[in-house]
Amino acid sequence: MIIDVTVNGVPRHLKSRSGDRLVDMLRKELKLLSLSPDCLQGRCGKCLVFMDGRIVHSCLVPAFKARATTILTFEAIAKNPEVKDIEKAFQITQTQPCPFCRSAKIMAIFDLLSRIPLPGEEDILEALDMVSCPCSDPLGLIQAVKLAAELRNKRKFSREA
Amino acid sequence: MLFASTIRSPFHRGRNAKVGIDALPKGYSAILAEDLPRHSLFPSFKDGIPIFASEQISYRGEALGLILGPDPGSCDELAATARVECEEEEPEQEWESFSSSQIAYHYSAEYGDLEKMFAASSTELKEVYRNGIFDHHYSEPMGALSFWDKETLSVHCATQWPDDLRRRLSGALSLSEADIVVHPTEMGRTLDGRLWYPTIVAAQAAAASKISGKPVRILYTREEDFLHTTKQARSAVSIRSGSDDQGRLLALDIVILINIGAYNPLAPELVYQAASAITGIYFCPAIRIEAYAIRSNTIPLGAMGSVGATHAFFAIEAHMNNLAQRYSKHPAEIKALNILKKGQSTFGAPGLSADIPLDRIHRELQLVSDYPRKYASYELVKKRDPGCREGIVRGIALTLGYQTGRSFSEQSTMNSYSVEATLDRELKLLIKTQAAIGSEALKTMWRKTAAEILSIQEEHIRFLLPENTHSLPSGPMTLSRGSTVIQHLIEKTCRSIQKKRFRESLPLSAKARTRAPKASSSPEGLYPGAQLLDSASWCGTAVEVEIDALTGRPIPLAVWMVIDAGRIISMQTALASLRASTLSALALCTANDFDPASAGIDDYLADFNLRMRDLPDIHIRFIDPDRNGAAKGIGELPFVTIPAAFYSALTQALGLDPRQLPLKGGEILRLLEGS
Repeated sequence: MIIDVTVNGVPRHLKSRSGDRLVDMLRKELKLLSLSPDCLQGRCGKCLVFMDGRIVHSCLVPAFKARATTILTFEAIAKNPEVKDIEKAFQITQTQPCPFCRSAKIMAIFDLLSRIPLPGEEDILEALDMVSCPCSDPLGLIQAVKLAAELRNKRKFSREA
Repeated sequence: MLFASTIRSPFHRGRNAKVGIDALPKGYSAILAEDLPRHSLFPSFKDGIPIFASEQISYRGEALGLILGPDPGSCDELAATARVECEEEEPEQEWESFSSSQIAYHYSAEYGDLEKMFAASSTELKEVYRNGIFDHHYSEPMGALSFWDKETLSVHCATQWPDDLRRRLSGALSLSEADIVVHPTEMGRTLDGRLWYPTIVAAQAAAASKISGKPVRILYTREEDFLHTTKQARSAVSIRSGSDDQGRLLALDIVILINIGAYNPLAPELVYQAASAITGIYFCPAIRIEAYAIRSNTIPLGAMGSVGATHAFFAIEAHMNNLAQRYSKHPAEIKALNILKKGQSTFGAPGLSADIPLDRIHRELQLVSDYPRKYASYELVKKRDPGCREGIVRGIALTLGYQTGRSFSEQSTMNSYSVEATLDRELKLLIKTQAAIGSEALKTMWRKTAAEILSIQEEHIRFLLPENTHSLPSGPMTLSRGSTVIQHLIEKTCRSIQKKRFRESLPLSAKARTRAPKASSSPEGLYPGAQLLDSASWCGTAVEVEIDALTGRPIPLAVWMVIDAGRIISMQTALASLRASTLSALALCTANDFDPASAGIDDYLADFNLRMRDLPDIHIRFIDPDRNGAAKGIGELPFVTIPAAFYSALTQALGLDPRQLPLKGGEILRLLEGS
């Protein structure tokens, strides 16, 4: 079947087989390799995408459910200044997520900061729990999120001023 | 490019496997053992480890062949429909009472007059401690991509040991090593799950590529990887101890059984490390050790984080706690009485020349964790409420351990590491080493070291890609080798360049290589491990655990670590590495025990059990981190100490001694109900 969907701002007609998940379709048809699904059960979080503005595990979404929706993957948000803030925070706090979960962790933090500009510890823990990968220092990650929020607010505030 | 799916054995054990495949669609083909020259990849056990099993099936799920084709989904379907027949044999699953034919490796050693010391003992205690099978939970399932470029074979594969992979491929495919290029790909945290198994997958892809003449990619699904690839070996350690009226150890009679599953080429290393660790913390004048690597018809089992040492530390620490109970003493008191000190020796080796800081670590750890007060109060709570009916159930325990950063193996390739560095006229440093597959954190540490010695900018230091460093031999890149052996070699090469720098003109190069002493070179010939303790890093860990009253789930509340690891080059990197490893080690303690007979993907998913919100407080203190001298490894320390501490804390909380890890919530509730 053909699924009409807007992916990263471009309208697409994507081929999909019955039983395919959204993540399969995005990887196979569009080679969006920031998605590296592992568990296919919504636990590892390495397949996070924005679907009509909401962050979802694309391994839990049947491909046909994506019909007429707008999907954003890491590839689309990578050049966003908010993502640059997160990457800078990773660098400063020397938090280095592995290449398999890096984009998913950035997606989760990006989502958190766009919803809650000044997140509390609980909000941060909840967001980071979306991605299960044992590669990085958990305290470093929490520090990185706090710093990313600070950098983001500083940048936005100074621009508005 | 062709995709490949693996045809697997449905039998646990059998001979003369035959694979029946219906007519394949156009573009699809099958490759079986009969299409390849008879060759074993690793000289493990009698028959070695084959690329595809045929004459002998050793475990259910063993690879028998590949289906190649342009669509991965269709390859999976075709591989699943292959019919496998064989002369089925009764599988050998029992390993604790094993037959002589199951012994893959045996090591025994004896020191002192054991029987005399047992006769002089006032207390004898004998217990068996069991450790389960754990998955490595690495980031990406096993896979390999192989293709031919004229006469050169290129293999892309996530491996911890590219040098060995190239050597094995050369033997299996009758190619010169110079005609094989291994491109190590990103690995994430592997916990030693990619030491040797990727070689089998890479060899299958390379053979398929050679036969088909096209690039071939094998990529396991997570389920396939979880069910059929290597895991941490399980163990049963029996300890019989004799001690005097104060609780001082006089005699230890130890039997270590490590179940290595169908095969493991590193079985001797597992056995040596376990035997070394079990006698490396406490002094005892008479010791006998019988250590075995035992085969059984299950998936290959092997290293995890600390190659066998975890099993041993878990057993000896649990035993010391039991001993304390027998004497009605504080566990810390019994341990302090027996801790190995400078000048004492293990196994008749010369007295340890280095200062063994265990005594200091033990004291500091008690202070920082408030151990004596907490231990006493939890004991009091338990005495007042033995059935734990009134609410919070907690326990605290501390353990000691070390990591050596060296291998005991007599295989020279296990211990050969080399580094070459060149400083050019623009003061840019190029470092060549196959170990450059290490993490970014490691590379940051190496850059910092080289920049300090040569007074150059860190940005001017780069590493040559590992595929271009084949001329420099390298042992496996485990958790500790990067920060110990390679770090030392980088320091050595940079110092050598620095010495010549103002006498000779640039560019300047220096090369350094290392080789650990062979076991046979030990002067006593008794105990190779004792010499290597001189370069160990030492650690004490305390863990505080609470048991959820409703579910029985053990929740780690806090972890304290006191570490003596020589000079700490980057404090931030060291702390980050230890905290990440601490979480992984804690997750193992509460993980599902992998049962080869009934495991499914749900067991894998159930192991994602330690959430960010369950994070314990982690306190880490280094002893004299700014001192001069060599840096030592720290990555394995949480893996060698936390399981033992976690288990002992759980024992105190439960008031029972289950003598096994892991323990799940349901089992804990049953134990509490039974009490």
